[in-house]
Amino acid sequence: MAEVTENAISVSDVKIRYRIFKKVSLLKTILAPHKYKKTELFEAVKGVSFEVPKGQILGIVGKNGSGKSTLLKAIAGIFAPDEGTIDLHGHTVSLLSIGVGFQNKLSGRENIYLSGMLLGFSKAQIEEKIDDIIEFSELGEFIERPVKTYSSGMYSKLAFAITAILETEIMLIDEVLSVGDAKFKKKSYAKMKSLITNKDRTVVIVSHSSETLQKLCDSILWLHEGEIKMQGKCEDVLPIYEEFMS
Amino acid sequence: MSMSRFFRDVKRFFNYTVYSSKAELKSEVADSFLSWLWWFLDPLLYMLVYTFIAIIVFRSGVPYFPVFVFLGLNTWTFFSKTMRACVKVVQAKKMIVTKVYVPKYMFVFEKIGVYGFKMIVSNLLVVVSMIIYRVPVTWRIIWIIPISMVLVVITFGLSTIISHFGVFVEDLQNVITVVLQLFFYLSGIFYSIEPIGKVVKGRVPAPYDTILVKLNPIALVITDLRRVMLYGEDPHWVMLGVWFVAGLLMSVIGVKIIYKFENSYVKVI
Repeated sequence: MAEVTENAISVSDVKIRYRIFKKVSLLKTILAPHKYKKTELFEAVKGVSFEVPKGQILGIVGKNGSGKSTLLKAIAGIFAPDEGTIDLHGHTVSLLSIGVGFQNKLSGRENIYLSGMLLGFSKAQIEEKIDDIIEFSELGEFIERPVKTYSSGMYSKLAFAITAILETEIMLIDEVLSVGDAKFKKKSYAKMKSLITNKDRTVVIVSHSSETLQKLCDSILWLHEGEIKMQGKCEDVLPIYEEFMS
Repeated sequence: MSMSRFFRDVKRFFNYTVYSSKAELKSEVADSFLSWLWWFLDPLLYMLVYTFIAIIVFRSGVPYFPVFVFLGLNTWTFFSKTMRACVKVVQAKKMIVTKVYVPKYMFVFEKIGVYGFKMIVSNLLVVVSMIIYRVPVTWRIIWIIPISMVLVVITFGLSTIISHFGVFVEDLQNVITVVLQLFFYLSGIFYSIEPIGKVVKGRVPAPYDTILVKLNPIALVITDLRRVMLYGEDPHWVMLGVWFVAGLLMSVIGVKIIYKFENSYVKVI
């Protein structure tokens, strides 16, 4: 039975190349020019196409250097693909990661605004959510103090709270995060799970843990050296992947 | 095509850039309570140094000399600090660059916001010293608006191009520092390159004075700011126009280069 599904992410024939620019030094170029060759091209993603229907959870697996994170960053818009297109059909997107660059001398509250705006939220939208973020981060009155006075645990709690509360329609997750002490870890994992399993949200997770992906994902995309090796349901792909990797 | 993208991106990231400029200024003040005093003290102390050198050593006889130096110094500080900050701005923003997409020239706007604000604050010294010296103000003072626009466009264009090359060229910082030092002396900060009206003598012999003012946009901006603010003369309209167009051209080139290469920055920094 064919069902009409609305796609949230359409990736078609995407190729991503890195120009391998070696860092150059003017002094060294003048003194030892023969050491410098022309820039090389390295193709990290070699023509990948797939679609993620709205509300689905896609897991991406593959060995190190297979282009998973590159693809995720391209979907997040951190850089544009060299060929092919990525269409998010107008959905908002964020890459869930620890800390979008805090300004150490500013207070936690000001950093929430800064990170939020960087993620594309308006000041009014952030104002609406800021109390939830502060509450979730468990920072209490520390929120008014400069971020440089925070412990590393407090720092990552704040970072997690920002990205978790300022939700976007598409969430991209590079390794499932767990931060803070045991209690916060539990809380953040639960929050993450509720974010991921929300049926309106489309999620792409990159992970090395088959166990996590098995629990969370609807389907799996296996990347190998920049190409799709296999694509399908968890129970079909993961056992073969496990065997391949061992 | 990339220009329509430019305007869309600027609109989208405008609020962030303003907030981030403010945040940087604020974090400077937060560092030590009186650090904003240095926004005044810096130009004030340098003005005293140059006044000492110019009057005692070179026996210069420029009317309203302290105001004359403030104008040159504040303009120069804005330009050179923005340039120097932009050489390594992409590395400095590594945490952001690797996690979200921001058009990298927005960092240049951010720096222009920061140093532009400081320039405005230190130009209060100009206003105060103009009152103290009872400088006769003419209607020509309104020309500071187009002259400042030329300054901003030139600074943005050059800084954007520099910020791209700064990603790949390790020792660009050293080169820029030396080149800026040279241009500091070539921009007439504590002397006048050209004669202005009948009151200010030029220090560079003709025809090199005109050449220097025409070829060095910062010297042009500084000279013309002094002409319209202090001595009631018209600016060099033609050259200002030429440099405005050149600045726009550099900005377009800078933005295009950044759009073309910014997806490779993540790999290098």
